[in-house]
Amino acid sequence: MNVEISDLTRRFGRTHAVAGVSLQAGAGVFGLLGPNGAGKTTLLRMMATVIPPSSGKLRLLGRDPGSYGPRREIRRRVGYLPQNLGYYPGFTVAEFVEYFALLKDMPSRQVPRAVAAAVEQVGLGDKARSRLRTLSGGMLRRAGIAQAIVNQPELLLLDEPTAGLDPEQRVTFRALLRDLGERATVIVSTHLVEDVGAACGEVALMDAGKIVFRGTPDELTARGEGSGAAGDAPLERGYSAVLATARSATAVRS
Amino acid sequence: MDDDELIAAMAGGDDAGLRELFSRHAPWLAARLRAVLPASEVEDVLQETFLAAWRGAGGYRPGGSGSAGGWVWGIARRQAALFLRRRGPAELLLPAMDAGGRHEADPAEAAVLRAELAEAVSALGPAGSPNREAWRLMYVEDRPVAEVAQLTGVPVGTVKSRAHRARKQLRAALRRREPAGDGGER
Amino acid sequence: MTGGQEMAGDHESLAGHGPGPGDVDLGRVWLGVAAEVWRRHPGPAERAAGRLLRSPGLARALVTAPSLLAGWLIATAAVLLAGLFATLGTGTPYVPLLAPAVAAAGIAYAYGPGIDPAWELSRSMAVSDRMVLLARALAVFGLNAALGLAAAAAGAAAVPTAAAVTFGWLVPMTAVCALALAAATLARSANVGVIVGVAGWAIVVLAGQSASGRLTAVITDTVLVLPYLAFAAVCAAIAWAATRIPRGTS
Repeated sequence: MNVEISDLTRRFGRTHAVAGVSLQAGAGVFGLLGPNGAGKTTLLRMMATVIPPSSGKLRLLGRDPGSYGPRREIRRRVGYLPQNLGYYPGFTVAEFVEYFALLKDMPSRQVPRAVAAAVEQVGLGDKARSRLRTLSGGMLRRAGIAQAIVNQPELLLLDEPTAGLDPEQRVTFRALLRDLGERATVIVSTHLVEDVGAACGEVALMDAGKIVFRGTPDELTARGEGSGAAGDAPLERGYSAVLATARSATAVRS
Repeated sequence: MDDDELIAAMAGGDDAGLRELFSRHAPWLAARLRAVLPASEVEDVLQETFLAAWRGAGGYRPGGSGSAGGWVWGIARRQAALFLRRRGPAELLLPAMDAGGRHEADPAEAAVLRAELAEAVSALGPAGSPNREAWRLMYVEDRPVAEVAQLTGVPVGTVKSRAHRARKQLRAALRRREPAGDGGER
Repeated sequence: MTGGQEMAGDHESLAGHGPGPGDVDLGRVWLGVAAEVWRRHPGPAERAAGRLLRSPGLARALVTAPSLLAGWLIATAAVLLAGLFATLGTGTPYVPLLAPAVAAAGIAYAYGPGIDPAWELSRSMAVSDRMVLLARALAVFGLNAALGLAAAAAGAAAVPTAAAVTFGWLVPMTAVCALALAAATLARSANVGVIVGVAGWAIVVLAGQSASGRLTAVITDTVLVLPYLAFAAVCAAIAWAATRIPRGTS
């Protein structure tokens, strides 16, 4: 198990961004769905060790990120793509990917080849020496994916990775995900439901800081049967049905 | 962009040009090298070839169609020579070199020549085919004509004409690969 | 490989073009070529820093600090040079008065967010952003101290009355830098750090002048050394706390 989470919470002031999440994940591709504000980004940030949890148990790659040494070791083996990735405009794509490869403690001998592989893998091979300020939004996103995969991470966390990618690029991106998911735990957070349906073996749906559904995409589709309009995509129907159930349950309780 | 423009772009530091050049030329270069080198060495030679092409792009002079291919093949030959030097003498190919009637003083060039000869030899036909077998027995194994006739079960005259044809074929194949000419047929 | 639009799902299968021999991995070959062509060759300063710090990543983060870039260093040197000429002209030791402010600005600009656009990503790195900040702050301080010493020494040689302040100003400089750093990390903004540091120093200098009549009072009064250092320590602690990553709860 690369990720073991038990009753994890994260508070900001009085708000519970994450209100008791339990999750276990081994190798494979996991989709994290949910509306904006559901807590997906906060959960990913905790898994990336960017912020600490307020309470609960978190174990990543068999280690406890609470202390410096294990946390550093975890970070060497993690790849993270935040939702808002700033970039250094004067850097080229290769320099950008190399910068983070070095910050992940990759041995400098291995870095050039790893950078080349990552850049080619995201299809930026003919832009490798172009400055980031000359790239489109979708290309920047792909550069971000490249830095996340450069160290061949065991845990890959992607927050809205397909923002700015056109449909054809999304197809090839899903193929990349499946590839990576064979050896690593890949967790993709997105609000584009159909985006991950094809690539993910398992899906979790978050709402208001809690996980309200965990299962395969087919199971999520099944939850949507009999509801929604005829033209709706099946996964979206399931998504809406689950959310509606979860929210009415909360309304009944309160 | 045609090849000359790609190389000019490379000389100006455009690595996308190198990428395109690679996708156009690496496959046939690999095939040609594969005839004389094992796969892993072909990969190493190809890598060094394109790095040398990148560094030396400024020295390329366009010269009509096919000249880029010839230029790249020239680089590949030099890189292959370095590798073949390490492999040591290849006895099988020496008689072919003599049959070709050329002698190179420079050992590196000779090594490459051996490679080209090996490729030309394989053009004689698959191992065991009449001309190639005759040539192999007579020139590689250096047997007398009578013995070859006996081993292959054909008259002496047939052996002689087969060997003669093989030598002619080799000479023709090697003439096509003159270093002063273009990159040869692909 | 003809366009940048597609993503190769498997980078090893780049050789989709042409009839290459089946057992030669052209994708692998291309990666070897690209690795060499695209690689960056670190300069001598970065290589030395990497060996010294035993971390090529930390060295790279160091040399990319905004206030260690050539433009910034040249500007710093220019300011100190201006101070030197002013000293030569008027006899007042401007360099020791200017150096702390310039250094404070440099320290504040060693910091991000505010400066580091990819700060969220930086917070997830094995080479932690705190280590980067520490290394950058020390390097900036050291460089500014060296530049300031050179300029002050030159000024002292030319105008002997200023000799007494050649080293004493390093202590207030430490305090001002610590103040700028604390302000920057607390406010999460390099600009705030610069403003607080420079303004703070200006206020102290002017207060010293109005109290004792001498502009250089705040540098030469040895009784101030301990308060300066204590203040610096407090600010450093604040900066440290502001950048801490609290322990998890498991």
